[in-house]
Amino acid sequence: MLIRPVAEDFRVIAFYLGRIFLVVAAAGLLPLTWAAVSGEWSPFGSFLVMVGIFTLLGVVGVRLAPQESKLTWSHGMVVVALTWLIVPVIGAIPLFLSGHFGRPIDALFDAVSGLTTTGLSLLSDVDHLASSLNFWRHFLQFLGGQGIILAALTIFAGTGGITLYFGEARDERILPSVTSTARFIWAVSVVHLVFGVTALGLVGWLVLGFDVDRALFHGLMTFFAGFDTGGFSPQSTSIGYYHSAIFEGVTSLLMVAGAMSFGLHYALWRGPRRTVFANLETRTILSTFGFTMVLTILGLAATGLFTTVAGLTRQGFFQLLSAHTGTGFSTVPSAELAGWGGLAFGGMAIAMALGGMGSSTAGGVKSLRIGLTIKTVVNQIRQVLLPEHAVVGTAYHQSGRKHLTPNLTQSVMIISLLYVALYLLGAGIGLAYGIPLQEALFESVSASANVGLSVGVTDPSMPMLLELVYMLQMWAGRLEFVAVFSLLGFFYSWVRGK
Amino acid sequence: MSRCLLLAGMVTCLFAIPAVAMADEEVTVGELVDFSQELAGTDAVVEGELVGDYGFRDDGWMWTQLNGDSYVHEPIREGGSPAGANTGIGVRMPTDLVEHLDPPGGYRNRGPVVRLTGVWKYHDPERQGESYLEVSSLVVIESGRGLDEQADWRLVGVGALLLAVAAVTWVLRPSE
Repeated sequence: MLIRPVAEDFRVIAFYLGRIFLVVAAAGLLPLTWAAVSGEWSPFGSFLVMVGIFTLLGVVGVRLAPQESKLTWSHGMVVVALTWLIVPVIGAIPLFLSGHFGRPIDALFDAVSGLTTTGLSLLSDVDHLASSLNFWRHFLQFLGGQGIILAALTIFAGTGGITLYFGEARDERILPSVTSTARFIWAVSVVHLVFGVTALGLVGWLVLGFDVDRALFHGLMTFFAGFDTGGFSPQSTSIGYYHSAIFEGVTSLLMVAGAMSFGLHYALWRGPRRTVFANLETRTILSTFGFTMVLTILGLAATGLFTTVAGLTRQGFFQLLSAHTGTGFSTVPSAELAGWGGLAFGGMAIAMALGGMGSSTAGGVKSLRIGLTIKTVVNQIRQVLLPEHAVVGTAYHQSGRKHLTPNLTQSVMIISLLYVALYLLGAGIGLAYGIPLQEALFESVSASANVGLSVGVTDPSMPMLLELVYMLQMWAGRLEFVAVFSLLGFFYSWVRGK
Repeated sequence: MSRCLLLAGMVTCLFAIPAVAMADEEVTVGELVDFSQELAGTDAVVEGELVGDYGFRDDGWMWTQLNGDSYVHEPIREGGSPAGANTGIGVRMPTDLVEHLDPPGGYRNRGPVVRLTGVWKYHDPERQGESYLEVSSLVVIESGRGLDEQADWRLVGVGALLLAVAAVTWVLRPSE
């Protein structure tokens, strides 16, 4: 029997939402300060409105709730799903008020895309956008990549943390407590921020010849979008703007770091490092990257677009790495990417669909699930080939020796199939609007796997239904379905429960 | 005499044909983006706004971006409508071409609108597949200009009011 949620349930949810909104309000002070310091008074007002709304909602949620009640699994999942819906709505206010969007829903699209670290954009004239607004777009990717909930957990230790942590699509706890795990993740990110911005800033200043302040600005924006596999860029030509192999190299390192699971970061930091390459996930992602790289390079070679091996390798490698890590940076325009047919298209689309590692900032099906799926299939084949009473080993290595249980297999298969269904949903809607199959599929996979590479379908003139579907795909893909289904179940219980 | 005229005509044609083939082709930035492969190696003349940064490199080249979209003549901050993403290409030019050039376009200013003549390098093998316009001459058509910052103080008021209400709520309804 379905049990209808009571007022207490809503108050608990409001309380935890309130805490998270207060954290986001505090985060909103950064672009507000940026706007004030740089004298961008038009965005300053809109940031103040945004911070005001987050603060008011946060205070109401925290103060009007009865007390800090225990958060159940269901409450936690609803809190996570609602956070990822409400934060983009309020976060889109400064974007819309900038005048760079034709419709409010377009600004919401960019906020959802930013927070889910997708990188698709409907922003007009990014080349003349205020620096504080550019900071906010990229900072949204940082918040989304690290996890807003994670930020709240770092500050507010308390009951229910584990539910919120797993609700945000993280499937491993690196340290004994969720709070210490959250703090470790932030420590890793801050270290990467310092080194990443310094390296990119130095390249911008010493190699590219930018002014120091502009070099740091480009470094910071590229770090946010690269390490959090977001893909926004402060200039319309993405990473192609810099015309620099060194800049692309540093950016590539950040993309790889962002697509690595934080468990792997922990192993690299504190050892034992030899276990890193024994992990099923590491072996899987290296294999799939190699496979899709061969496809893409062969495909590009067949097109004859590049006349040298160096050109073919540099351009092919960067676009593919961007696709596989779910970042969405590019050094070629959308119009050209749309023309990459055959094997090159296949390699890029497969790489986007597979995605990065679990518990990272990347999207897609994720390498561990791919590895476990392959292992399940191989085991089934071996079971058929071996004598009837033979037992097939189910052990695999992932931060230690583990066993592939029927429950785990079922979970992996269901999530993987849901991703395939999500990819097909957007492609189907696109086809219904007359978009060619290849382009409809590419853009749909890019949205669902939170990649952000575009072949030109994402445009302010796109149908509103398609825009809504892409937003749904970005949201569901980022949260890996569980929290989304929990929210739907909660509302269904509210309507039909007794 | 007629043979001499015929010979003179043929010689003239021999010189005239390459002259026509080598004539600079007027193209838009959008055409360079959409038909980049077809226009590879073309001596192009293209107009647009310089935006972003002027990156002066040690090898004597300056890199920047040339935009050729509706925002060149109707910036959003001067009432232009949002009309989609920018249309831009990378350009590089000898540093001596860019002396006394106004700052590139950005939030605070519309960059100089220029007419560039150069070779469209499509996936240039010498630069590992980058595409860009290598500029040989530059003419400033319109100088850069500042864009007005118009603060909306009503928004500041609304934001301050929201924060005040939040503060009052915090003070008046202490948690149980």
